[in-house]
Amino acid sequence: MTNSPFIILTSLLLFFSGCKKDEPLDPVIPNEEELITTFKYTLTPIGGGENIILTFKDLDGDGGNPPTISKGKLDTNTTYSGSVELLNELENPVGNITEEVREESNDHQLFYQSTISELEVSYNDNDLNNNPIGLVTQVKTKAAGSGNITITLRHKPNKSGNGVQSGDITNAGGETDIVVTFELDVQ
Amino acid sequence: MFNKLLATLSFLFVIPAYLSAQNCDRIISGRVIDLSTGKAIEYANIYSKEAEAGAVTDSLGYFKIQNLCNGSYHISASHIGCLPKHLFVQITKDTSLIIYLDHNSEVLNEVNIIGEITTATTQESQTLNSEDIAQNSDKNLATMLEDVTGVSSIKNGSGIAKPIVHGLYGNRLTILNNGIAQSGQQWGVDHSPEIDPLVANKIRVIKGVGALEYQGNSLGSVILIEPKQITLDPHVHGNARYFFESNGLGNGINIDFEQYGKLVAWRIVGTLKKSGDNKTSKYYLRNTGNQEANVALQLEKTWNKKLSSDLYFSSFNAELGILRGSQVGNLTDLENAFQLEEPYFTEDNFSYSIDAPFQRVNHHLLKFKSKYSLNKKQWISLTYAGQYNLRKEFDVRRGGRTDSPSLSLEQKSNFLELKYHHYLPKNWKLKTGIQGNYVDNVNKPETGILPLITDYISRELGIFALANKSYKQTRFELGVRYDFENRKVATISTGVPREIVRYENNYQNLSAVGGITNDFAKWLSVAYNLGYSVRNPEVNELYSNGLHQGVGGIEEGNPNLKQEVSFKNTLSIKTKIKNKFSFETLLYYQEFQDYIFLNPEDEFRLTIRGAFPVFKYEQTQAQIMGFDAVASYQFFERAELVAKYSFLYGSDKTNNIPLIYMPANNLYGELNYQIPKLGPFENVEIQLNNRYVFKQNNLLPSQDYLEAPEAYNLVGVKLSSKKQFKKVKLNTYLRIENLLNVSYRDYLNRLRYFADDLGINAIVGISLSF
Repeated sequence: MTNSPFIILTSLLLFFSGCKKDEPLDPVIPNEEELITTFKYTLTPIGGGENIILTFKDLDGDGGNPPTISKGKLDTNTTYSGSVELLNELENPVGNITEEVREESNDHQLFYQSTISELEVSYNDNDLNNNPIGLVTQVKTKAAGSGNITITLRHKPNKSGNGVQSGDITNAGGETDIVVTFELDVQ
Repeated sequence: MFNKLLATLSFLFVIPAYLSAQNCDRIISGRVIDLSTGKAIEYANIYSKEAEAGAVTDSLGYFKIQNLCNGSYHISASHIGCLPKHLFVQITKDTSLIIYLDHNSEVLNEVNIIGEITTATTQESQTLNSEDIAQNSDKNLATMLEDVTGVSSIKNGSGIAKPIVHGLYGNRLTILNNGIAQSGQQWGVDHSPEIDPLVANKIRVIKGVGALEYQGNSLGSVILIEPKQITLDPHVHGNARYFFESNGLGNGINIDFEQYGKLVAWRIVGTLKKSGDNKTSKYYLRNTGNQEANVALQLEKTWNKKLSSDLYFSSFNAELGILRGSQVGNLTDLENAFQLEEPYFTEDNFSYSIDAPFQRVNHHLLKFKSKYSLNKKQWISLTYAGQYNLRKEFDVRRGGRTDSPSLSLEQKSNFLELKYHHYLPKNWKLKTGIQGNYVDNVNKPETGILPLITDYISRELGIFALANKSYKQTRFELGVRYDFENRKVATISTGVPREIVRYENNYQNLSAVGGITNDFAKWLSVAYNLGYSVRNPEVNELYSNGLHQGVGGIEEGNPNLKQEVSFKNTLSIKTKIKNKFSFETLLYYQEFQDYIFLNPEDEFRLTIRGAFPVFKYEQTQAQIMGFDAVASYQFFERAELVAKYSFLYGSDKTNNIPLIYMPANNLYGELNYQIPKLGPFENVEIQLNNRYVFKQNNLLPSQDYLEAPEAYNLVGVKLSSKKQFKKVKLNTYLRIENLLNVSYRDYLNRLRYFADDLGINAIVGISLSF
């Protein structure tokens, strides 16, 4: 027993020198498949003509470098069909988030708010309960004007809330997955 | 103080006396004395269940139980307002006992027992004893500790709470589970300590200036969770407890067994708890249920006169629901939530189900300790402790990913300690030790999200020496500690493509404390303590970089942060006049150099979810000062009035602004009335209490999204009674909290952005000791 302090000290030393790994292993870089890097709103004039594409792109995700945002020019008194595309360009191959939203259409809705008074956006698609989703829309312009359009994607909104089905976000609730604003000119 | 210490020890000794020797006319006689005053206790109940006989002490504290046969007896001594004492005696002759009972008043001369050696510290300490714990078994560790003056909790709903002592919490406060620094995920305000308070026999808060004996980042105060020592009794004993709470329809059981067996002494404790949606005064808080299943095993073995060992294993397993309506996607969502009468997703019905967002936490501790006495005055101990912590947090996610955690962290730690104690001549006592700690923290890749906390491996080596001396009515304490930490960190960059960036930190710390306490008179005791301590910046403060959705901001770490240095003074004054009136106060002043905090920048960063404010970890010069005061007055023997007040003021001296997340001042009062017998009930105690929490006015509008909530007042009642049956002792209680069902919000509860705090809650509990 007289040796015991000695044994203890030796084991203490062994403990410090022999603790498994010395450096943390390379962390596994997660596959950020849920991330949305790119929001694309394509407006096709119904009477024919060139497509207008509004894009919000933030390739490194939240934080980091600032996003790039495009501007758009629309014609007066024209009807466009609008379609939304959501991409994860960090993934290879590029992840298609639009499909995910469509698969869970009951739990998602896009809202369109514009500061241009005579610009009208209406829903052109339905979820399983016959409520709007907003991936496919119709945009009608009238007089000339300039301003912006804010598009919001809500997860788990209350679609039966007052005015929500006609596109009023006030009572929608839920969590915001996307909110992007584009400058827009109607000429 | 030292005398009282001896008194505690002496209750352990049973003083046998020789008298006559005949069968079945043995006598146990003795006296019951108040531990803190040394006076005799009248009307104390003495009972032996084997004899099915008992006695009540007379006006001088004497008692006598007659006509006993030779054999072994369990003797229990109880008195109103005291913690009962249990003794086990073998009787072969007439025996006399001196039994010291401890009045569990919150006031005056605390005696501290750490493990097997009795050590008092000059630092201020307050204790929750086994009865306090049993009668609050519905609570978690932090909310239980709110009863201690100067302690509040910082919460994310009622289920997730961490204690805050003198304005410090998380990585600035050390929590010791059975002498081992809790090694878990103490980041942020939404991670509560992974400890079941019901496995403890005693929870102690040292509101001090530093605890140099322990590893960890204490900048002053320490919380100690101490399991019971196994009673020297060859029979199996235990307790069974059950509680029900009306708010959340919570149920819980806690059972323990122990035996001082011939081969080994053992004790096992298990807890099961489940509760559902809590309710405010008006509506249910959806998804705020939680469930827990915990177990602890304790083994003690004395190998020979010199060597003894103990083994301790505890496992904590919890699922904690978080208010559904508190998950927000961006600032607009948060601002919308402020306007709501009821949070989103509120339902009319109660539910037990726990869905996302919720946390799943597992924490296991294994401790092995051996003590070897070199001689009567010197001993050494060797301790190993291993901890395994697993934390998974689930959010509502798109594409069926709700089932995958958004955060998944695994932490393993190994701790080894060698300590040496020496009683030196002239009342000097020396304690010194060397400690090593190895922590391996890993993010599991199952989340699909960039982690906010990095992977790291940390190695710490510390040495300390503490000395204290008693001289007449004075005690001195001095201590120094040195630590070295090497930390290797592997982070993932937030740029594209993602890359691994490695860092290495080396830190050296020197800490020191000194204290003196003096009993100037029987009625006056004064203690002064001074401490200097250093805390290393944590990995979240250094390297976190990204969106912290829960708090609606982008957090940026700062790899150049320096160590945080603190200097704290405490002055405690305790008086007691004629056992009727007592007053104690603890004044503290703490100054920080390079205090690390999250500073809101004048910058918003645009993301696809909208613009978020940027918060950066910065350092400043800060101070926290305040005082805790407790006064009690005994009108007459059975009625007592207690008042407590806590005041705290924290400020950033460089920028001349308040410190955030500081508890609001609060005032608490209780009126206690005791009735020895009421119908079939014995030892009835009735309490009426009132807590008033002031508005936190020390806060600028720019420091928070919302103004601090208004002041609030909560009324509560408590009834308890004890009854001794032949073989078992029954303890029942009823507690009602927020009796008037008021609506209120608390500054330190993050859910205040979304919902009211809890409405009325009635808790009934029953416990059986056998």
